[in-house]
Amino acid sequence: MDIRKILFVTKFEELWFDAVESLMDLRKASLDHVVFLNVIERDKVALRRGKGYQKVEEVRLREMANIRFINWAETLFEKGLEVGAYIVVGSLVKQVITAVKKENIDLIVVGHEKKGRIEQLYSSSDILEIIRRSQTPVMVYKYNLDNTIAVEKPFERPLLATDFSKTSKTSIDYLKHMNQIIKKVTIIHVADPKSLKQPSAMGIQKTRKDIRRKLDDLCDLFIAEGIDASPAVYVGNPAKEIVTAAKECNATMVITGTSSNPSLKEKLIGSTPRFLTEKTIIPTLLIPPVT
Amino acid sequence: MSKKVLVVDDDPDVRLFNVTVVEENGYTPIEARDGEEGLKLLKEERPDLVILDVLMPRQSGIRLFRDLKTDKSLKHIPVILLSGIAKRTFLRSQKALTEFGGESVPEPEIYLEKPVEPEELSAAINKFIG
Repeated sequence: MDIRKILFVTKFEELWFDAVESLMDLRKASLDHVVFLNVIERDKVALRRGKGYQKVEEVRLREMANIRFINWAETLFEKGLEVGAYIVVGSLVKQVITAVKKENIDLIVVGHEKKGRIEQLYSSSDILEIIRRSQTPVMVYKYNLDNTIAVEKPFERPLLATDFSKTSKTSIDYLKHMNQIIKKVTIIHVADPKSLKQPSAMGIQKTRKDIRRKLDDLCDLFIAEGIDASPAVYVGNPAKEIVTAAKECNATMVITGTSSNPSLKEKLIGSTPRFLTEKTIIPTLLIPPVT
Repeated sequence: MSKKVLVVDDDPDVRLFNVTVVEENGYTPIEARDGEEGLKLLKEERPDLVILDVLMPRQSGIRLFRDLKTDKSLKHIPVILLSGIAKRTFLRSQKALTEFGGESVPEPEIYLEKPVEPEELSAAINKFIG
């Protein structure tokens, strides 16, 4: 599974060209095509009381986006990359899905801006909806967060959070051939505290040892491809522990799978990918479930 | 039978403009919305001239230009590049692609930067097939 073609979704407010440039390391692996997408929200040009559809405003917004995309495209063309662009009016999720299908995209890159609680909820929902409907990995960049770290090479030291599911295996397949750009991967599993309710310390230690052994096996897959890998076991709330682990191992990106059928509890209080999308200060790569 | 001009551009307004100029000069326009469609029509229709945009979805004009100029049966077809992308960028991109192991290709016959006046485009068209 190679990342040959990326879709870069931007509203220009939260995702800029430096994010694209930080992904140029992927050129060493397989990247050869970048597609830009700017979705003009309908409420900016339509549904205005007494004004009807504002064609002039649409043209103005399109041309503004076009000028930016031309600047960005020129930089990428000169590096020998193939570049395309879409500027469309509509709903974000629908337009992203359409572009992914038309272009056969391998990775979607979106921004995630600091917003109010309600807006944030919708924004995260959009991202999870995109990944659910497109079956394409989504990389979420963070912008305008007070404590955001500008990551120059997100794929350099990724943290891979695994629950040993099929989706986790897909994540490994996605990464293990990137030995030209990944220096070290840290693979973690967050154990449920309930699983440690053993009658003795030895029982708990055995559980940890079993998890650690499984993680070692996954690390071996990377080491066989020439990528340094190390395991770590955490206990507690998965989302919070993943954020902690990312800080502790100085990760440049968090990678995790998403569930195809989130539980009612997850829908109500927020899933791990949603939490990571909102709370991590480094890019998050969400891998879709295996269908 | 009038000569055929393939117009490749993703912007419908620009396509309409180009097609109108082609028709006004007495030629038959063929339209494509991106590089992939353009390449398909190039092979099917064997036009006498191509007016090509650079920044397009699915396949850019840079790639289509390379495909055309490295195909023995197509490379004689003259190309007018008509784009918002600077000529310098276009030439550098071709150089970069050649350095990445691609075949060296000649410069386009004419490179016009958008926007273009109808007279300018007409003159360019007639220079090759007039």
